[in-house]
Amino acid sequence: MKRIARRDKLKIYGDLLSILNEETGKDKVVLTRVQVRLNVPFDRLKTYITELGGLGLIEDENSLKLTEKGKQYLKEYESVLDFMKRMGLAYQ
Amino acid sequence: MYEAPRFAIEIASAVMYFILLRYMIKPYGLTREERYLGLPLGFGFLGVAETILAIGIIYPINGLGTVSVVMRTFAFVFLAFTYYFSKKPSKNSRFIWVIILSAIIVGLTTWFLWLFSAPLLALGITAGFGIFLRILALVCLAYICVHTLRSHLKSLDPTTIWIPLGFIMLSVSQYSQLIRAADENYLYGVAFVGGLTARLIALAVFLYVAYRTFYRATKRGGIDEADRS
Repeated sequence: MKRIARRDKLKIYGDLLSILNEETGKDKVVLTRVQVRLNVPFDRLKTYITELGGLGLIEDENSLKLTEKGKQYLKEYESVLDFMKRMGLAYQ
Repeated sequence: MYEAPRFAIEIASAVMYFILLRYMIKPYGLTREERYLGLPLGFGFLGVAETILAIGIIYPINGLGTVSVVMRTFAFVFLAFTYYFSKKPSKNSRFIWVIILSAIIVGLTTWFLWLFSAPLLALGITAGFGIFLRILALVCLAYICVHTLRSHLKSLDPTTIWIPLGFIMLSVSQYSQLIRAADENYLYGVAFVGGLTARLIALAVFLYVAYRTFYRATKRGGIDEADRS
């Protein structure tokens, strides 16, 4: 059986922001779809969303979406992860 | 004979290492994990080593070359340990990495205290020890090359081939330094020019990778899709 690597909070936050960024392009962000894509229990997803909202990275007006700060963070996060991959230092 | 171009190349190398340091600190800045601390420390030490070497060309003070060799070797040790621990993110490995990091720093500090408190004794030993240090640096670089190449072969992503190439060029540069240290007369010119050229190519490769990653990012997720084609 293939062992799934444990993700730390930073990786989960990054994945959640990335998924939300992709889902924002659609009509409405459906939390169940986000939950399935992120692969976390629903109650924990709600906690992460609250935490990210508290950090000012996402906002919930009509639908969940990334703030400017969130978009900047996601861009930096993906750039650094890409840099680490290119350097041969995969972040696990 | 080669002093002026050599000074220029050492300064250029030091500047490039310090520019790279700015990017190498980003993985630690994002993750706050100690196992990535060796990357900025390694490149920072390499920058300092080149600066000391450049100063040594202008002011030929006894012992500056030795200090530079020691710093460069420690830099490669930092880098090698960073790569070694990058694949083992367990609590135990973090603990071991912190111990090793502390040991390297204590070792380096002890070396310098020894060098400055008993310079004659230290210099007498380091004259023969220099070759060992260069071999150690070469071994560390060989490990990094293998690690990065294996990582590239795992993903088979065209964007990950540049860093192994950069480290291979740094190894060539280090090997030429070893030849020069072992026999200053034999192939001096070839080793000298070849080594410096290889180092500049390596640094150019690292800078290119950093530039492609951080400044040529497309809107889609920040990753340059053109790189993958």
